[in-house]
Amino acid sequence: MANKQTILVIEDERNIGNYIDTILSSKEYKVLRAMNGKTGLSLCTSHHPEVILLDLGLPDIDGMEVLQQIREFSSVPVIVISARTQEREKVEALDGGADDYITKPFGAEELLARIRTALRHRLHTGQSQSQEPVYSKDGLVIDFERRLVTLQGKPIHLTQIEYKLVSLLAQNAGRVLTYDFILKEIWGPYADTDNQILRVNMANIRRKLEANPAEPHFIFTEIGVGYRMLE
Amino acid sequence: MQNKEQMDFNTLLENILITAGIFIVATVLAIAFFHYSLNSTSVAIIYVLAVMLVARYTTGYVPGIVATFFGVICVNYVFTYPFMTLNFSIDGYPVTFVVMAVISGLTSALTTQFKKQNEILNEREKLLMEAEKETMRANLLRAVSHDLRTPLTSIIGMADTYLADNGRLTEGEKSYMVKSISEDANWLLNMVENLLSVTRIRVGETRVNTSPEPLEEVVSEAVQRLRKRLPQAKIKVQVPEELLMVPMDAVLIEQVIINLLENGVYYSGTDSIDLYVKKAEDAVEFHIVDQGKGIDPERLPTIFDGGGVDSNKSGDSHRGMGIGLTICKTIIHAHQGTICARNQQQGAEFIFTLPLGEKIGHGE
Repeated sequence: MANKQTILVIEDERNIGNYIDTILSSKEYKVLRAMNGKTGLSLCTSHHPEVILLDLGLPDIDGMEVLQQIREFSSVPVIVISARTQEREKVEALDGGADDYITKPFGAEELLARIRTALRHRLHTGQSQSQEPVYSKDGLVIDFERRLVTLQGKPIHLTQIEYKLVSLLAQNAGRVLTYDFILKEIWGPYADTDNQILRVNMANIRRKLEANPAEPHFIFTEIGVGYRMLE
Repeated sequence: MQNKEQMDFNTLLENILITAGIFIVATVLAIAFFHYSLNSTSVAIIYVLAVMLVARYTTGYVPGIVATFFGVICVNYVFTYPFMTLNFSIDGYPVTFVVMAVISGLTSALTTQFKKQNEILNEREKLLMEAEKETMRANLLRAVSHDLRTPLTSIIGMADTYLADNGRLTEGEKSYMVKSISEDANWLLNMVENLLSVTRIRVGETRVNTSPEPLEEVVSEAVQRLRKRLPQAKIKVQVPEELLMVPMDAVLIEQVIINLLENGVYYSGTDSIDLYVKKAEDAVEFHIVDQGKGIDPERLPTIFDGGGVDSNKSGDSHRGMGIGLTICKTIIHAHQGTICARNQQQGAEFIFTLPLGEKIGHGE
């Protein structure tokens, strides 16, 4: 790679900033750091980073506000850094335009994986709407053109809704999709806000795709937030 | 009169309504009696009863006294000869009057006193409950500060030693120290999450906000999170084939599962734990079973009440699951479930149940 990819880290805690900086710099990313929202926003406009890591608890501007302002002029992938117990905050951030979130405390591997996912999805949305024609991972193959799902070579029979769900998750593999987002995508904008129907469908899919529904390999649950498919 | 004004309007209205109601009933009864027996003594007794009831079901002395006057006048005016006139000079009448007055006065006095005593008792009980809560809080705090301080001491100590090293430590020692730091830090993290989970149970409320959650999702997320932290743990998981939606606070139940699994990993001396979920009649049963050395029978009865913390005996006491298990119990009880621990032939078994609410079937 000729040009290093730039990652903007908006994080007010020095130690965590240093930690992220160390991980990313060792992987040949160029790291820009901002200690508050204002600097973050101005760095974002002046340097056009490829990915932004945004801590929601900033000293000057609320993280959600920073996210909103970024979204007014840019579609750069934003990964929100949040504390675990606040599911609502995560959902709000995701529905407010964040691409993904990572929970404190996180390991180096997890952080790098999220950044790779964000970069990959950025490439897709940047070029055209078309995704890769096939999702293939550990024996699960989803052919989006032929609308065919096979597991270890054997075809899996999914209902219409189930197929839509699986393909939506597969096309966004690695990213967490919120209940609301999925409901709107599959059942339309006037869908019931109750997510029971979604969860029942997911349970059925799990029984068709996973060897042990209690130890899923392909589709992971983030309780209170949504679902994430193996990348 | 002043007393009346001080009473708030609602109480006043209530008093008036109760008094009027009782007197209407009494008068109807009295008329019926009088019509059949022409005996004014029973009429007087009915009114005495009415006065007693008024005193019992109203607040303050005033309604009782008003009722006495009204009763006496009624008896005199309507039911004794000469009818429809007031005449207090009839033989024995002053006695009736006095007796009625005394009875009603005594009854109101007694009931008022009784009510006051009740209030005092209630208040005392409340104070006692508060004190109990305070002790619980103090115990928790003490346990927390112990449980937090120990790993922190080891983290700080190890880190300082590492930093002050003049090249004497071997690579092996260094990596062992960093590993210990990481272990202790992870343990602290779980502790903090436990404490946070307690704040989700609102103070003074014994119930939690539940919503129906797919059982397997909660179980799988809990296991996934524990695996991330303790990669060496071999956890076998099994859930019913049928999809069960169980009303719960998912974050809290996840914490319970993680605590019990972690407890198993640390205490059994083995790394393999079984977690299986069974459906009982109107509840789901979670079983966490290990093949380790089991629980000290002495500790068994108090294991959920902090009996697990045994700072003097246990070799690695900072891993005391005392708080973890106490929190499990609090969470499960807040869900109206049950939790217990027992020894098996080989190893220990923790079982907790959650009541099943409305169930959504396997359908599409």
